[in-house]
Amino acid sequence: MDYTPQNQKDKKQMLESIGIGNIDELFKIIPNHLKAKDLNISGGKTEQELLKYFLNIASKNKKLISFRGAGIYDHFIPSLVGEIVGRSEFWTAYTPYQSEASQGTLQAVFEYQSLICALTGMDTSNASLYDGATATAEAVLLALRVSSKNRILISSGVHPEYIQTVKTYLENSKAKIEIISLSDNGRLDKNTVDSLIDNTTAAVVIQSPNYFGVVEDMDALSSSIKSKNSLFVAIVNPLSLGVFKAPGEYSADIAVGEGQVLGSSMSAGGATFGFMAVKKSLEWKMPGRIVGQTTDRDGRRGFVLTLQSREQHIRREKATSNICTNASLNALAACVFLSGWGNVGFSNLAEINISKARYAFTKIKSLDGFKAKFETETFFNEFVIETSKNIKKINKVLLKNNILGPLDLSNAGDSFKNCLLFCVTEQRDKAEIDSLVELLTKI
Amino acid sequence: MNIPQDLLYTKTHEWVKIEGNKVKVGITDFAQHEITDVVHVELPEIGRDVKKEQPAAVIESVKSAFDIYAPVSGKIIEINSKVLGSPELVNNSPYEEGYLFAIEFSNEKELVDLLNPDDYKKLI
Amino acid sequence: MEKLLNELSSECQPAYGVECDVAINAQVPENLKRSIPLGLPNIAENDLLRHFTNLSRKNYALSTVFYPLGSCTMKYNPLINERIARNDAFNNVHPYQPIEAIQGVLEVMYELEKDLCEVAGMDTFSLQQAAGAHGELAGLLVIAKYFKSIKQKRRKIIVPDSAHGTNPASAAFAGFEIVLLKSEPDGSISLDKLKEVLTPEVAAMMLTVPNTLGVFEKNIDEISKLVHDNGSLLYYDGANLNAVMGIVRPGDMGFDVMHINLHKTFSTPHGCGGPGSGPIGVKSFLETFLPVPRVEKKKDKYVLNYKKSKSIGKLKAFFGNFPVILKAYAYVKALGGKGLKNVSEQAVLNANYMLAKFKDKINIPAGNICMHEFVLSPKTLFKNDIRTIDIAKRLLDYGYYAPTIYFPLIVDEAIMIEPTETESKETLDKFINVVNKIILEEFCRDPQKLKDAPINTPVRRLNEVEAARKPILKWE
Repeated sequence: MDYTPQNQKDKKQMLESIGIGNIDELFKIIPNHLKAKDLNISGGKTEQELLKYFLNIASKNKKLISFRGAGIYDHFIPSLVGEIVGRSEFWTAYTPYQSEASQGTLQAVFEYQSLICALTGMDTSNASLYDGATATAEAVLLALRVSSKNRILISSGVHPEYIQTVKTYLENSKAKIEIISLSDNGRLDKNTVDSLIDNTTAAVVIQSPNYFGVVEDMDALSSSIKSKNSLFVAIVNPLSLGVFKAPGEYSADIAVGEGQVLGSSMSAGGATFGFMAVKKSLEWKMPGRIVGQTTDRDGRRGFVLTLQSREQHIRREKATSNICTNASLNALAACVFLSGWGNVGFSNLAEINISKARYAFTKIKSLDGFKAKFETETFFNEFVIETSKNIKKINKVLLKNNILGPLDLSNAGDSFKNCLLFCVTEQRDKAEIDSLVELLTKI
Repeated sequence: MNIPQDLLYTKTHEWVKIEGNKVKVGITDFAQHEITDVVHVELPEIGRDVKKEQPAAVIESVKSAFDIYAPVSGKIIEINSKVLGSPELVNNSPYEEGYLFAIEFSNEKELVDLLNPDDYKKLI
Repeated sequence: MEKLLNELSSECQPAYGVECDVAINAQVPENLKRSIPLGLPNIAENDLLRHFTNLSRKNYALSTVFYPLGSCTMKYNPLINERIARNDAFNNVHPYQPIEAIQGVLEVMYELEKDLCEVAGMDTFSLQQAAGAHGELAGLLVIAKYFKSIKQKRRKIIVPDSAHGTNPASAAFAGFEIVLLKSEPDGSISLDKLKEVLTPEVAAMMLTVPNTLGVFEKNIDEISKLVHDNGSLLYYDGANLNAVMGIVRPGDMGFDVMHINLHKTFSTPHGCGGPGSGPIGVKSFLETFLPVPRVEKKKDKYVLNYKKSKSIGKLKAFFGNFPVILKAYAYVKALGGKGLKNVSEQAVLNANYMLAKFKDKINIPAGNICMHEFVLSPKTLFKNDIRTIDIAKRLLDYGYYAPTIYFPLIVDEAIMIEPTETESKETLDKFINVVNKIILEEFCRDPQKLKDAPINTPVRRLNEVEAARKPILKWE
C-alpha cells in the first residue's frame, strides 16, 4: 500500500509532458555518490494485515483500572467529543490560514478561547500550545519578556516534568530559576514566598492543585506577589475550576495548564494540549495563534487569525515564540467537552471528583500502615498517603489485579519517602474503590 | 507624498521635530503608506534610555512588523498613548495626532546627522 | 451564519451528565471556593451535534478538496491509521504505567525510531517533540549543549533568507544570534556568500533540502565541507523530506542534526493545526544530548532510560505525541522501504508534471525542473490591480484550497504549489485548467470576479485590519 493512485499510462503521459523518458531524470541534479541504497524497512502490509499487526502490539499494553494521575487523568469522555474530532473536515484540515475556507475551525477556536476565558476568569486565551509543560515554559518566557527581569521562582509543587521543561527552555537564557520549597502541610507558605521575591523577580510560578494534590491558597499568595510587582503565573487543573477559585479571581497575570482532562484521552501522555490565558495588557505579547471576530464584505460575522505580527511566519527571529503547529484538534475536543455540561453540571463533575477522592482518602488513611500525609488540607482528586508497607509490593499486588496503583513518590524528595500519590476521578465507581481498599488491607 | 518643510528626517523614515532640548518622533507619510494599515503600535516606557539608530518602538500591520529607530540618543520623556488605542492615527495623521514619542536628547551633535526635507525627498 | 455556543445556550437539559455512587462531600473552604460564575453554555446534545457538524462543513479539508499547499505536504491521511490510533488499548494508557504494562507503546516508539534512522541516514532519533518547530528547538539545544561540552563559544546560526519562519524563530528561542544568508534567486546557496559569513562563532547552519523553491541544493557536498571545516554543524529542516525518501538521505549529505514533521511526510493528519510531531535525528556523537527518557531495548523488553546526565532535559511532559507517532509507524509499515521511495518519486513526478503545464505561461523563478513542489511568480501577468491574493481567493470559488502564497519571501507575489503523490493525474489536470483559466482568461476579461472572490465560501473576504485594530477575541 502506498496510497498513490497513478497507473502506468498516467505516468507515461506525465513523463512525456515533462519531456523526459523516466523518473530518474528528475533526480539528475543529485550527485550520484549521494544516492541512497534501497531502504531496509519492512512493510508493504495491506490494510487488513496492518490492523492485525497493530492489534497484536496493542495487546502488549495492559488495560488497567487507574488510581494514578500526576498530570494525566482518566476522565469520562462523552461520545459527542469523539464524533466531532472524528469528523474528517476537522482532522484533515490545515491551519486556518485561508480564513474564508476555514470558518469551521476558526469559529470553533474562537469558542474555545471564549470557554477558556470563562473558565479561568482571564481576559484573553490563545488557540492552544503543545501541553501543560510547554505552556508553563512559554508563560515563563512571556513573563521574562514583558518584565525585563531575570529571576523566576517556581514552586516545588509544580509537576516535576514541567519544571524540567522550563529549565530546558531557559537553558541558554540569562534567566535564573529558583525553586520554592513547600511547607510541611504540603503547600506554599505565604511568608516564605514573600521573603524570596525581590525586585529582580520576573514571575512566581505556582500550581494548584499542586503535584501532591493540595489546593494552594492562591488568593493569599497572589497578594504577596502583586505587592512585590512580580507577575503571577498560575498553573491550574481546568476541571478543578468547577469549584475552586479561578485565576482571574485572584488576579493571576498568566494562567496555564494541561488540557487533557477536557476531553482528550490519556494516550500515554500525549497528544494533549496546553492552554494559556492572560490579562488584556499581555495579549500582544502572547505566544501562539489567536482567532478574532470580524466582519466580511457583506457585513456578516466571520473569524480570522489575528494579532499575527507576533508570530514566527511574520516576525521570524523576533517572534514571541517559534510555535507554529499547536494542538488544535485537542483544543476542539475541549471546546466540545466544555459546552455540554452547563454550569451546574460542570461544578457537579468537579464535586464528584472531590467526593470520590474523599471517599477513598477516608477509607485508605484509616487502614493499618497507612496514614494521611496532609490530613487537613483541601484536595481535588489526588492525595498523598504515607505508608509503612513496601510500596513496590503494593503496586505489584495491585497490578496483578489489573489496578494501576498510586504513584510512588520516593523520588520526589526526602519528605516524600514512603509516600504514595493516589488519584480518584469520577471514572472510579464505589465498587472499584472498595476493592482497592480491600487489596490494600491484605498487604 | 507629504514631506513637511519644518521637520528633519532619518534614512529609516522617521521624522524629527526639534523642540528645545527634546525631539518629537513619528514616521513619515511615505512610511505609513508603505506599511499599509497600522493595526498595533508598541511604544517604549517613559524614562527608558534609547540609543541613536537602535529600535525604540514597533509598528505592526496585519502581515508585518517594523522596528522604529530612535533618531538620536537620549531618554524617552513622552509617549503618545493615543496611538495605542487608535493605531489608525499613524496612517491618518502621521505628522500630528499619529506621532509616537519624544526624546530628551543627550548629545546635540547627533542632530547634525539628520536629513533635511530635500535630502529625504531624494531618498524616497 | 452559525450561532455561537453562548447564543445557543438555553435552560434545557445539557448534553452530558455523570452520576455519583458515593455521597457528595466536597468540603471546600470558602477562601478556596470559586465565587465568579462559570459562564459555560447550557446546550442539549442534539443541538451541540448539529452545531459542530455544521461548523465542520464550513471547512475546506483534505477529505473534501485538493489542498496543494506548498511546504505543508497535504497528502492523503490513510483511514486505517486513524482506526489503529483510536483503539482504546493505545488511548487508555497512562504514561506512568509500569514498563511491563506499556510494552506496546514502547515497541511502536522504538521501532519507528529505527525506521526513521534508515530513511534519514541518521544514527538515532528522539520522538519527544510535539511539532516541527519544537524539533528545531530541541535540535538547536542539542547543538548548543554539544559546543558547551567541548568548551567552544559559538553563538551564531546561519539561516538562509528563503527558510521557513520557524528556523530563525527557533534559533533565537534557543539563545542564538541569527546570521541571515541571502539566497540566490532559485533559493540555492552561493558558496562565496556562505564563506563570508562562516566565522569561528558559527555553531550551525540550517538548511532546507530541497529548498523552499523546490530546488535540490546542488552544492550540498561543498556546503557540508565548508561548514564542517569551520567546526560548525549542519542542521536539516525536514519540512521537505517528502521529495527525497529513498533517493538521498540527509545523514549521507553530511547533516548532523535534523527534524522530521510526521504530520507532513508521514501522513499523520494536520488536525486543523495540530497535534503534530517533530522527531529529531542526530549522528551518534550527539546522541548523549538527546531529550530524556530514551526508549531502549534490553533483551526482549523495552525500557525507558532517564539517566542521561548530558541530556538537554525534557522538551515536554512524558514521551511525545504518541497517537501521531503511532499513525506514522502504521504508515511506514504500510509502505515499507520500497513504498517510501515510490512516494517521493511520485510526489516529484506530480510536481514536475504541473510545472511543465505552467512553465510556458507563468514565470517560474527557479527553473524548469523541480523536486516535490515549485513556486510560481505571476507578477508579470498582473493587470487591473490583480494580485496573488486574488488568485488564491478565486481558487476557493472553484473548490480548491489555495496554494501557499507570499512564501518564500524571496519571491515576489509567490504561489507555492505542492501536489503530493496521493493526487491523481485527473485531479492535477483539473486544477491546472482552473489556474490557467483564472490567469489567462479571467485576468483580462473579468478582473472584478477576482477582486470579488471568494463568493462561494461561507463568508466573503474578511476585514483583517479591524480584527487586529480592535481585537474581539472571545464572546461577550
